[in-house]
Amino acid sequence: MAGHTPPKRLQNYYQITGFISSGTYGRVYRAKGIKGNEGRTFAIKKFKPDKEGEPTYTGISQSATREMALCAELSHTNVIQHVETYLQDKTIYMVFGYAEHDLLQIVHHHSQLAQPRKPVPGATVRSILYQLLKGCDYLHKSWVMHRDLKPANIMVTSAGQVMIGDLGLARVFREPLVPLYTGDKVVVTIWYRAPELILGGRHYTPAVDLWAVGCIFAELVSLRPIFKGEEAKMDSKKNVPFQKSQMQKIVEVLGFPGEGQWPLLKSYPEHKELGTLYGAARPPRPMGLRTWWANQMKINNYPGNDSPGDQGLSLLEQLLDYNPETRLTAEQALKHKFFDVMRDGEGPGARDCFEGCSIEYPKRKISQEEYSQSLPGTKRSGLPDDSLRPPSKRLRDGF
Amino acid sequence: MGDSGTLFSPSALLCNEDEVFLSEEYSGEAKTCMDLEYLCFVSENEDEYIKSLVQRESAIDFGSKSCVSSSCDCSSTSQSWLKGARLDAIEWIFNTREIFGFQFHTAYVCVTYFDRFLSKRYIDDEKVWTIRLLSVACLSLAAKMEECKAPALSEYRMEEINFKSKMIKKMELLVMKTLDWKLGSITPFAYLHYFINKFCGESRPKGLVSRAVELIVAITREINLMDHRPSAIAAAAVLVAIDDQFTKKELELKMSVISLWGSLENEHVFSCYNIMQNIEMGKVKTPKSVVSPKLLSSMHSSSIDVIENSSSTISAGTKRRLTFTNSDRTCPVKRSHRA
Repeated sequence: MAGHTPPKRLQNYYQITGFISSGTYGRVYRAKGIKGNEGRTFAIKKFKPDKEGEPTYTGISQSATREMALCAELSHTNVIQHVETYLQDKTIYMVFGYAEHDLLQIVHHHSQLAQPRKPVPGATVRSILYQLLKGCDYLHKSWVMHRDLKPANIMVTSAGQVMIGDLGLARVFREPLVPLYTGDKVVVTIWYRAPELILGGRHYTPAVDLWAVGCIFAELVSLRPIFKGEEAKMDSKKNVPFQKSQMQKIVEVLGFPGEGQWPLLKSYPEHKELGTLYGAARPPRPMGLRTWWANQMKINNYPGNDSPGDQGLSLLEQLLDYNPETRLTAEQALKHKFFDVMRDGEGPGARDCFEGCSIEYPKRKISQEEYSQSLPGTKRSGLPDDSLRPPSKRLRDGF
Repeated sequence: MGDSGTLFSPSALLCNEDEVFLSEEYSGEAKTCMDLEYLCFVSENEDEYIKSLVQRESAIDFGSKSCVSSSCDCSSTSQSWLKGARLDAIEWIFNTREIFGFQFHTAYVCVTYFDRFLSKRYIDDEKVWTIRLLSVACLSLAAKMEECKAPALSEYRMEEINFKSKMIKKMELLVMKTLDWKLGSITPFAYLHYFINKFCGESRPKGLVSRAVELIVAITREINLMDHRPSAIAAAAVLVAIDDQFTKKELELKMSVISLWGSLENEHVFSCYNIMQNIEMGKVKTPKSVVSPKLLSSMHSSSIDVIENSSSTISAGTKRRLTFTNSDRTCPVKRSHRA
C-alpha cells in the first residue's frame, strides 16, 4: 500500500546550485541531479507556504493545484518537462527539466547586448516558431489552453529545444471558464492579449494562444513587443477598465477591425469602445502589417538570404487575424508554407533552433546571492527556507 | 425517485437542469454571441472531443476494482462502517455543493477523488472523522480544479466537527499525492449532450436532462465510481431517462450507434442501466443515509430563503452561467420536505 514506504526526499536526489527567480507563487531554484540523475540540471519550483491563519485562506492555491494536475498528465518535447512533484515538510516542490535560455533573454541579447545590432537569424526564428506551435498544438489537442504565452514563458535549451513553460494559468477547456481577473489580480500579460479578450469576450478559446504566438513571432523579428500598450489599472471599486492603450497599439498597426472580417465583432460587450478609441480626434492612419514588416526587415538589417521572407509575413498576418474564428489554429499554422523546409519535423532546425547558428547566447543568470539569502540558517521572516536541508526531525507523511 | 428524495430532491434537481443545460455545452437557447461562438466550437468537433475524453478515462483507471463499493464482494463487517461513512460523505458533498452553488460536475469529481483515494489507502477502523476530513479536502480540491473561484477553507462547514484550515490543507496534499497529482477528472455530465443527441436526435422527451442528472447523482451512492467509466454511466442514465423498461435487445440496438468502446464496455452500460432501473423502482438495497436531522433542518431554513420559481432561473440562466460571479454561488433551489 502507498504510504508504507518511507517517503522519498528531495535532497537525496537533487542538490540546489543557484536561484533562478521568484514570483507570487514562490521561488525557482536550479539544481543538479545526484543519485541516478547525475549530469542533468533541473529547475525546482518551490511553492510559497501560505498564510494559514487568514479567514480567506483556501489551502493550496488554485493555480498551484491546476499546474500540478496539468503537469502530471502532459508530456511533449515542446512542453516543459515535468519530472516529479515532492510534498515534503508541508511544502510543494515541482521538479522540471532545466533550460539555459528563454525567448525574453534571446530577444534582449539582440536588442541590447549585441553590437552592431543583428537580427535573430531567420532560420532560428523559423525553428523557434515551429517548435512553439508544435507545443501549442499538443496542448490544444489535449484540451489545454496556456493563456499566458509570452517570451519569458518560452524556454530554450542549449541544444535548441524550445519548450512552453509555466502552466500556472493553463486551463482545461470546456469546463467552467475562468474570467480574466481572479480576485484583484490581472492574470494575463496585456501585450500578448487577444483582441476578443480586450473587447470583453469572456470565453477563452485556444485562439487566444495563437494571437500570442503571432505577437511572439513579431517580437522575434522586431526585437520589441509589437503591441506595447500601457495597462489600464483597475479602479478602487475593482471595475475592470477597457484596455484602451493596448487596443490603440493594435489598431495603429492593423487598422480597425470590421464586421466584414469579423462578423461577430458587434456582439462583444466592449465593441463600442472602438468608436471612441481616439476621442474626438481623427484616428491615425494605420500602418498596415506589410509596412510594419518591411520596416522591421530594414531596421534590423535582415539579409536577403536569411530573412523570414514573404512567407513569414503571410503566416504572421494569419496569426494576427482579428477574428478568432478564422485565425489559424496551431495545426493549420504548422502546415503553412513558411514551414515547408521543416518537412514534417525531419528538416533542418525542426528540433534545434540553434542549428547552423553562430551566435553564442549567454546562459541564464543564476544568482548565488539570492540563493545564499535563502540558504538554511539565513532565514527570512515568514519563509521557512530550511526545508531543502536534511531535516532534523522527520515529518510523517500524512497523518 | 421515491426514497432518495430526502437526499437529492427532484425539485432541487430542477434547478440543476438549467444549470446543466446552460453550462457551456448545453446553452441551446443562447442568444449572445459568446454562446454562438462557443456552440460552433462545440458542434464542430464534438465527436473528436468525446473520443479524447474516453481515452483519458482509461488513463485515470476507471473500471478498476476496489473495496468501498457496495457491489464489492469483499465488504466484510470491517468495511460496513466505511460504506455508511461513504454515504454520509456523499450526502454532505452534494448538500455542500448546493450551498456553494457548485456544478454537479464538481461534486461528482469530488466523489471520484474520494473513491480513488480509498482504493489506494486504508483508513483505520471507525475513524469517521478521517472520512469527514477526506470529504472536505476532496471537495476543496474539486472546487479549485472545476469552479472559477474556490471558497476559503473556513467556509466548509460540517455538523459536529469543523477542521482547522491547516488540517484540511494537509489532507489536500495527501489526497493529491495519493492520486499521483492527477486531478483531471471526467464525469458523466460531459457526455450527456452527446448521448442525448445520439439516442434521441431531435425528439427529446421533456425533462430528459433532469432525469439523467438525477440518475447520475443517485448512482454515486450505489457504486464505487472507479468501477465504471463515466461514459458508461452517462449512456445508461440517458437510456433510463428515455425509457426504464428497455429489454436487453433494445438496449443493444440503441448502443449499436455508439462506436466509442467495445462490447466489454457495453456490459458496463447494461449493468449501470440495471442499477438505475432499480433506483427508479425504489428497489435499491442501500439504506437511507444516516443524516443527522439537525443538519437537514438547518439546510432547509437556509435554502428556503433563496427559493424562487425555477422558470425565472431558466431565463436568467444564460448570463448567470457566463459571468459567473460570486453571486452565482447561491443557486436558487427549492427543496422539498423530507419524506
